[in-house]
Amino acid sequence: MKNKIKVFRAMHDMTQEALAQQLKVTRQTILAIEKGKYDPSLELAFKIAGFFGVTIEEVFVYDEAKPS
Amino acid sequence: MKQNTFYLLLGLIGLLEVGLFVISVLLRNPLIITVGFIMGVGLLYIARMTITDLKEDERSVMITQKAGFRTLEVFWVLFFAVSLGSAVIGFSTPLGIPPGKNLPPGFPRDEPHLGYFGILQMILLCCIAFLYIGFRVYYARKYGEWDSDEE
Repeated sequence: MKNKIKVFRAMHDMTQEALAQQLKVTRQTILAIEKGKYDPSLELAFKIAGFFGVTIEEVFVYDEAKPS
Repeated sequence: MKQNTFYLLLGLIGLLEVGLFVISVLLRNPLIITVGFIMGVGLLYIARMTITDLKEDERSVMITQKAGFRTLEVFWVLFFAVSLGSAVIGFSTPLGIPPGKNLPPGFPRDEPHLGYFGILQMILLCCIAFLYIGFRVYYARKYGEWDSDEE
């Protein structure tokens, strides 16, 4: 699963720590998602998209070549 | 309770359990360590619920779940192997059946190799601990627990 969290985070001028606090997860989780090491649950994915005010498809893109 | 205080308590209870185990062996009373261990784990569960700065989310829960599952997946094979071996040791004893009166002198009446049973159990206990720690480290690395920040 590819994602654009880093891009959206930069657009909102947010650190990983700040985003993690808003979403009530650890900074390591945000880092792991950004690096593609961890695919978030549907609930967390919706929370992330909702926080940035976009749809889930705009943040997350399913990568068929690299299934989780 | 702070998370670091909990880890200190964990270490103290661990040391206490080792002490109880030694006392249990010296007094040949298994109840001491059995009851002590259950009480220790219970105390840790209660203490864990009082942690105010617990750093846990869905990823860390998943790492714990995966490590626990993999540990059991491997451990049941070891457990069966050792338990089957232990059963053989157990069946090598007279099984509590009173021996016949006309047995030849020197007929083995004592329980053979029962000490091995204790050693095998200790190996099993060490195995489950090392397996869990190993899998925990593996999944923590896989899911970026110790990755450095790119910011």
